[in-house]
Formats: sequence, structure tokens, C-alpha cells
Amino acid sequence: MSHLHIPDGVLPPLVWIVGAVLALLVLLASGRSTRGQGPREIAYRSALGGIMLAVMAIPVPITAFDYCMTLAGPVGVLLGAAGAYQACFVVTVILALMGQGGFSVIGLNALVLGAGAAIARPIYLAIAARTRPATAMAAATAVSQLFSSALWLAILAVSVKLAPGAAHEHEVAHALAWVRGGVVAAVVLPLLLLAVGVEAMLGFGLARFLDRVRPDLLPGRTSADVPEEASA
Amino acid sequence: MINTFAQVDYLASAGGSVWHRASALTKLAAAVAVIGGALFANGWPALAALLVTVIVLVLTARLPLRLILAAITAPLLFAFVFAAAAWDGQAAHAAPRLVRPVIAGVVALWLVGTTPYPDLFAPISRVLPRAVGDSLFLTYRAVFSLLGRVERLWKALFLRGALQGPVRRRAGMMGEAVGTVVLYGFERSHRLYQVMHLRGHSGRICGCRHWLDLRREDAWVIGVLLWVVVAAIVFHGAPRS
Repeated sequence: MSHLHIPDGVLPPLVWIVGAVLALLVLLASGRSTRGQGPREIAYRSALGGIMLAVMAIPVPITAFDYCMTLAGPVGVLLGAAGAYQACFVVTVILALMGQGGFSVIGLNALVLGAGAAIARPIYLAIAARTRPATAMAAATAVSQLFSSALWLAILAVSVKLAPGAAHEHEVAHALAWVRGGVVAAVVLPLLLLAVGVEAMLGFGLARFLDRVRPDLLPGRTSADVPEEASA
Repeated sequence: MINTFAQVDYLASAGGSVWHRASALTKLAAAVAVIGGALFANGWPALAALLVTVIVLVLTARLPLRLILAAITAPLLFAFVFAAAAWDGQAAHAAPRLVRPVIAGVVALWLVGTTPYPDLFAPISRVLPRAVGDSLFLTYRAVFSLLGRVERLWKALFLRGALQGPVRRRAGMMGEAVGTVVLYGFERSHRLYQVMHLRGHSGRICGCRHWLDLRREDAWVIGVLLWVVVAAIVFHGAPRS
């Protein structure tokens, strides 16, 4: 839900050009903040980017639909805002080269995915101080997914409004009202919440596993938390 | 999906067409020109010229028909939703929303199907921050082993009944399974880091095989580039769609 498969040529130029410029500015800022990092961090970031791509390719059967996970929330928790944004950018570039989403929406894709990932770690740290890491990861993942999805819907709404000729057409206005009132409430919202729930539970399972086996990979934990049998 | 990834990767390295022998830089420039032309074309003649151009490109690159059809149909599914959302009762207004994504999708296939990824990523990584440029290479390299591992893992979960039962149980199990892949990715990144050091990593992955080596075949790509520019200018004043 939170990664756009929008192809080239359907969004108004104003939307994707602004998205591309913003995405590049954020990329430059994230590049500055990770300048001191060595090849070890780059390799880890790339591995998590590879896992995002691999997991996106596997459909998760929920009800009658298949859902494609993004792992943006957990990756945001594990890498932090700057690293996760860079991983999301690279993932969207490779997806575009593979025909999953257009080249012109690489910026918007990276912003949508990266924004969700960027807010995940602060949320995780705030909640993990009071409860188990798995619960904190689930909550951070859910908020991250909701935030990305809200951004996604906002971009679509702006795009439809800016589409040439659409804003003043009575039929389009009527269709938009119907979409807003009926389809969103009846179909999109329940599916979105179900998808967020699935992604949160995946985050829960992921953090529960890491907390048991390699807690030092979770933020806020140290190598002293590593169980003896895992570090042996 | 891993088969498609692998097939495109193999075709890019093993193909022998004139496009395969051309440099990555000129092909990237031509692809950008075609996509830019499709995005900003304001008339049917320009879009038709671009569509014919990209179809000729992929056919002469000798890419499999299955991949070409996939490149045509995949963006159509999503473009159709947008065309329907902005439907104003005139097919002439909706049709460009369907044709533009097809042109972009097919030219993307031509680009990745004729250019090995180190050559393709080398010019892209030059304009990105160093860490992001390096990540581009390493992520692509990691995808193959991780994708294979995730697919095997999913198959094992399915065979052992982990994909049965309530969604909460299934998602929790899948989360733990993804945890094993994250752990594998972490260990793999450590090994990769050590290999990079052993091989004398200088702080930047070069990827500079011959992405800038201009050859005779580049004349064809430059010809395509010029044709796209000329078509955009000539058909600019043509009737609006």
C-alpha cells in the first residue's frame, strides 16, 4: 500500500517534479548525516534494502487478497532515519528499473516509503522505554505504515485535482465525491487497516526473534544483551 | 520474480545485438529522452512515433516476447485505474494516460535488458552521494541471494503449515521468518565488508568497466536520441490529444 506502483505519465508533472526535487534534497541531507559511516554500515544498509526488495516480491495471503509487504517500518527502526531513507531510495530506483513504478515517480516513491521509515525509530525508542521491543516494533511499524499510506492518498488526491481538465468537470467531481464517500469507507479503509495490522504483526514477530537471538541489532540495546548461546 | 530478475540480468550480459554493444551512457541518455518525450508529448503523432520507436528498439534487441508483453501490460493495469479516475467521457483524453506508461515501461526494459548492471549503475552512482551510489551496487547484488532465500523460506513455511490458521498467527510466524533473513543479511553484510577490505576497497565502488567507452554502435543510439528530439519538435504543433 505504501509503495507506489504508479507508472510514468499518469501524474501531473507538477506533482512528480516537486517530488523529485524534494527527494533529491532529502537524499543530499541524509548523505551528509551518514558521511562518517564506513563500508560496514553501507553493507548492512544494502542488505536490508535487498531484504525489502525480496520481501516485496513475496505476496502474503490475507483473506482473498495478496498483500505485498514493504518492511519500511522495521528497516526504519533498524537503520534510523537517514540510513532507512537511503535504503528506500535505492529500492525504488531498482524497482523502477524492473518496471515496478515509473522513473518519474522515483522521487515520490522514495519520499513516501522513506518518510514512513524515518519516523519509525523515534516512535520505537519512545515506546520501547516502557514496554517490550516486539510491542514497540509493532506500534512503530503500524504508525509508519499509516503515515506512508496517508501520504500516498494525499499525493493521489492532489494528482487527481491537478489533472488537466479534471477539476472543472462535473462528472469527475461527482466521481471523486463517490470515491471519497463510498469506496474509501467501504473498501480501501478496511483493507488498509488489515494491511497495517499484518505489517505490524510481521514487525512484532521480527523484533521478537531479534530480541531473542541478537538484541544488539535493535536500537537502544547493547552487545551485553546478547544471549550467551547466540554470541558463542 | 527471481526468474525475471535473473533472466533480464542474463540477457543484459549475454545478448549480442547492436544495443548490447553500445555504451551505457548513450543508452541512458536515449532512454531519458524517450521517457521525457512521452511525459511531455502533447499530441497523438508524437506519442505514436515514440511507441513505434520503443517497439522497434526492444524487437531489435532480441528480447523475449514474454518480457516485452509483460513490460507493456504491467504499467497498463495501474494506468487504467488512473485513466478511469480522470475519465471525462472522451477516449481521446484517456488514451494518452495509457500510452505514456507503455512507452516508458518498454524503453526501461530495453535499457535494463541490454545493459549489464555495473555499467548501468556506474553513471547513475556518479550523480548520487557516495554511500547511496555504493548501496545501489550492493543492494542489487544482495537481491539475488536474499530473494532465493526468502522464496525457499516461504516454501518451507507453506509446506510445514505455517501459512494456515488465523492471520495473527501467520503474520507472527512470517515476522520470525523475516527475522532469520535479516540476521542472514546482517551476517552477509559483515562477510561482504571483510571481502571489500581484502580486495582493497578504496572508499568507492567503481563499477567503471566500459560504461563511457564510445563505440561504433553508439552511433545507432545517438541516432535514436536525435530521432526522439526531432520527433518531439516536429510533432509538437500537431493536434492535441
